[in-house]
Amino acid sequence: MRAKARIIIFTMALAALPAIASGGIGDIKFDDKIASMKKAGVGPVIFPHGKHEKTNKCNDCHPKIFKDKRGENNISMKLNMDGKFCGSPNCHNSPKAFPLFQCASCHTGVSAAKK
Amino acid sequence: MKASPTCKYLKVALLFSLLLIFGFAVTVAVSDAESVTSTKANIMVAAAAQTAPAPAKKSEKAEAPKIDPTDPSSVIYLDTAGKAAGVGDPNKPPSIAYKAGRGWHPQALAVQGHPKDRYGLIDWARIVRENLVKPKFSLAPDDDEMPPLKMDVLIAAKGDFVNDVVYPHEMHTYWLKCEICHATVGGPIFIPVKGGNDMSMVGIVQGQWCGRCHGKVAFPLTDCNRCHTSPKKASSAK
Repeated sequence: MRAKARIIIFTMALAALPAIASGGIGDIKFDDKIASMKKAGVGPVIFPHGKHEKTNKCNDCHPKIFKDKRGENNISMKLNMDGKFCGSPNCHNSPKAFPLFQCASCHTGVSAAKK
Repeated sequence: MKASPTCKYLKVALLFSLLLIFGFAVTVAVSDAESVTSTKANIMVAAAAQTAPAPAKKSEKAEAPKIDPTDPSSVIYLDTAGKAAGVGDPNKPPSIAYKAGRGWHPQALAVQGHPKDRYGLIDWARIVRENLVKPKFSLAPDDDEMPPLKMDVLIAAKGDFVNDVVYPHEMHTYWLKCEICHATVGGPIFIPVKGGNDMSMVGIVQGQWCGRCHGKVAFPLTDCNRCHTSPKKASSAK
């Protein structure tokens, strides 16, 4: 019985493998500077990797603009403004993509400003 | 006899698992193929769209041979929003705003050769610094002339990683009266008290504070570093 259960589990895991492999990189949440973001009145950034995959090739961004490892890129709005990361000259600092000042296009939790 | 039913079960389980794997592989392959074909179709459509209007344009050109790109009267000027502001023909009124007597003549502005910023908009601040224009202080004859207020205000950026803003009163008071910002109809845009204005970039983008003018009649918010100039000491060294 034990052997049977093991084999069944093994086969199920084997069956699940292609399902995992077929899914692309999903959304990535940027929230390591959450304290600073809170002060500025915005929430964390949900980066839609899939959306960018459609319009860009991998080596458009990796590894020149973004190191392809989580936590290795110290992204900040200052560096974006200076033409790095998201604000690279062909990206969100150019007419090709929406400009950097549109907070709500990237940051979640941007509510209507108080009057 | 004991082993045979378990063996059967095992065989069935293995068969099902193989079927599942095969099914996954097939669906993935099919979806990939579909996406490829759809993109191909899209490309075909795009190509068709690109090729289709070209003959139409040619026929238009053939019908109207008068348009000469080197002729200044054929130029169409666009305003900052990208809409047609007028044409270069001095015999034609350039725009509705000009007809109403309220607009600038785009040709006159272009001929002046005013300095432009990196977004192609006229850099009014540089015009003032280089003394290129000398506007009248006021249309009212008995208005006393007031020199611009030389006072820079450091506005701390809320986030830790963004440069602070140095607000130049001088450039703003060259063009505007104090009351325009500090005693605005419907409540002041800025209370003239240090720290009395809880400004935020979110609010500015939504048309409050600086956003009342910047992005509308003053230079847009696209160039972050035009205002965010003073580096933060507390922020990260990078």
